[in-house]
Amino acid sequence: MKAYRLAILLAILGWVVVPVAAHHSFSAEYDFNKPLKLKGKVTEMKWANPHAWIYIEVVGKGGKVEKWAWETGGANALYRRGWRKEDLVAGTMLVIDGYQARNGSNTANATSITFENGKRLFAASSSQGGSSGPK
Amino acid sequence: MLLRNHKATLVAVLILSAALISCSRSSSTPNTSIPRTADGKPDLSGIWQARNSAAADLEDHVASFDMPAGKGVVQGGPIPYQEWAAKKKIENAKNRRTLDPLENCYLPGVPRIMYMEFPFQIFQTPDHVAITFEWSQVHRTIYTNGAPALEGIDFWMGDSRGRWEGDTLVVDVRDHNDRTWFDKAGNFHGVDLHVVERYTLTDANTITYEATIEDAKTFTRPWTISMPLHRQTDADRIFEYQCQAEKEEANGAFEPDTKTWYQGPSVPVQIPADWKDVQTEWKAPEKKGEIKRLADGKPDLQGYYMSDGGGANYGLGFHEQDFLTPAGRGVISDPPDGVLPMQAWAKTEAASRKLPERGYDDPTAHCFVAGVPRSMYVPSPLQILQPPGYVVILHERMSWRAIPMDGRAHLPDHMRLWQGDSVGKWEGDTLVIETTNLNGKAWLNEVGEIQSHAARVVERLTPINADTIHYEATVLDPLVYTRPWTISFPINRQKDELLEVACHEDNQDLQHLKDIRDEARAKARGSN
Repeated sequence: MKAYRLAILLAILGWVVVPVAAHHSFSAEYDFNKPLKLKGKVTEMKWANPHAWIYIEVVGKGGKVEKWAWETGGANALYRRGWRKEDLVAGTMLVIDGYQARNGSNTANATSITFENGKRLFAASSSQGGSSGPK
Repeated sequence: MLLRNHKATLVAVLILSAALISCSRSSSTPNTSIPRTADGKPDLSGIWQARNSAAADLEDHVASFDMPAGKGVVQGGPIPYQEWAAKKKIENAKNRRTLDPLENCYLPGVPRIMYMEFPFQIFQTPDHVAITFEWSQVHRTIYTNGAPALEGIDFWMGDSRGRWEGDTLVVDVRDHNDRTWFDKAGNFHGVDLHVVERYTLTDANTITYEATIEDAKTFTRPWTISMPLHRQTDADRIFEYQCQAEKEEANGAFEPDTKTWYQGPSVPVQIPADWKDVQTEWKAPEKKGEIKRLADGKPDLQGYYMSDGGGANYGLGFHEQDFLTPAGRGVISDPPDGVLPMQAWAKTEAASRKLPERGYDDPTAHCFVAGVPRSMYVPSPLQILQPPGYVVILHERMSWRAIPMDGRAHLPDHMRLWQGDSVGKWEGDTLVIETTNLNGKAWLNEVGEIQSHAARVVERLTPINADTIHYEATVLDPLVYTRPWTISFPINRQKDELLEVACHEDNQDLQHLKDIRDEARAKARGSN
């Protein structure tokens, strides 16, 4: 079971672009004029529906550490794609692309996530949605 | 003295024979006084409810605010908490108005959902025992097809796998989270909870319900609750108690929309007589292969499906992707131009709903149920069951539709529900569902296309091969549109099981949308 999951995960990490759900009026919530690309260390993955969240720490100018919350597809969609809670552990380094929230908080919608080895995870929102979408 | 001895002997004989009778009943002789399904299993189908105060407190208790007094349902004394857990239980009880997950309308978990003050309906097929609850349209599926529990995931309502031991349905409930309680009194568990439920029909109108609770990190030993569940012989359906929606309407967080919501019976809305012609012209789609059938020859639609709703949840007509709102191929099959035939006011209102500050007004942003027909094209899986007399649709986004096939009349017009009142019938191989009694609170999608309480929705589900249902819905809504309109798309069978979408429990988007709305309102006030 574990090996099977790992195989799926590796397949995903290798090339598959996982759509992030467009749900709950993302277009209303996030700002097209605030595209964002941040490199940081995962502190927590919140495995939730209708959307999961990845929390990262980003070292900014002058060594100041900022905490950012990134919204992704839902936990069910991730589960169906072979993800398990322990697969995105604290300490993992990521580069995340997306859009900042309109309310100006350190919150953003992830359109793609790139691991240190160059492999990419999520991509832009898709018509299929992903809050709990198909395999 | 002799007489007394005689009496004692008589009593002893009576007790012994009663014990023997009950013993033989539970072991070998089948209970002939209970209903059974076609495959000979006890038939648990029906509407049931506990009639005790276990929802307040599983243990013996006197009354307190919002909690009626009652006898405990725990067998053999108090709940065997470990020392730390006994202390935590007391703290929970003290702070229950803020800590009880149910105060926030969170999913109650198992076994708590089984003895709340709301009825539930059991539907039984050879592969599933499904339970639909009036409370917040929660549902459970107990798989009796031998499929194993899922691994590496947890659920508010657990993962239920059942088997028959004689005439008792025994259900293993695993994969719980640690966020639910057992009652209002703060009785609780940890993430290692394992519940074994036993459902035994003791007569036609009574289920003896037992649940054994194991959690070695919280309790010193397993313990069991036991209670009768009573058939609601005066009910032929259950209704809706949408906990979070009712709460947000009551505290003003979800504001009424006088343009679409049902306002009472004072002004009945008539659907124009000539609109009926549009639906009578309907022709069944062509078959593209063999379809599955039930023993009675009716199409067998049962299974797990994903709708290919073509982006309808973001606009029913053709539309390009707009920032984070996905594109859609357009699912409007009538009118032929593929454009919703909106009245002038509705065009203005629909344009307003697209503004960022109206994102908060979409009921699904609050995690409320999607309504009809939207439930059928939100991008989330569904499960269809066909127990005797019903077609039941379970949606992964926690809601359900139980569609009676017995030809019953709709509810009285003034009874209005989020999901409306659906009745079904077969026309050839097409399942025709007519839905009325909508409360007009649901949106058609997240860009705010409009449906009002006046809508009558006629859905047609036609299997065109073993794995594809051709879905159509005609909406007749004279308050919003100039004519009826129809959407159509395929619903595709897949091999999978439903998971659970607990939604408002972990939804962080709503606050962001509220901030945007509040800021826009403050700006508008400032400029006045």
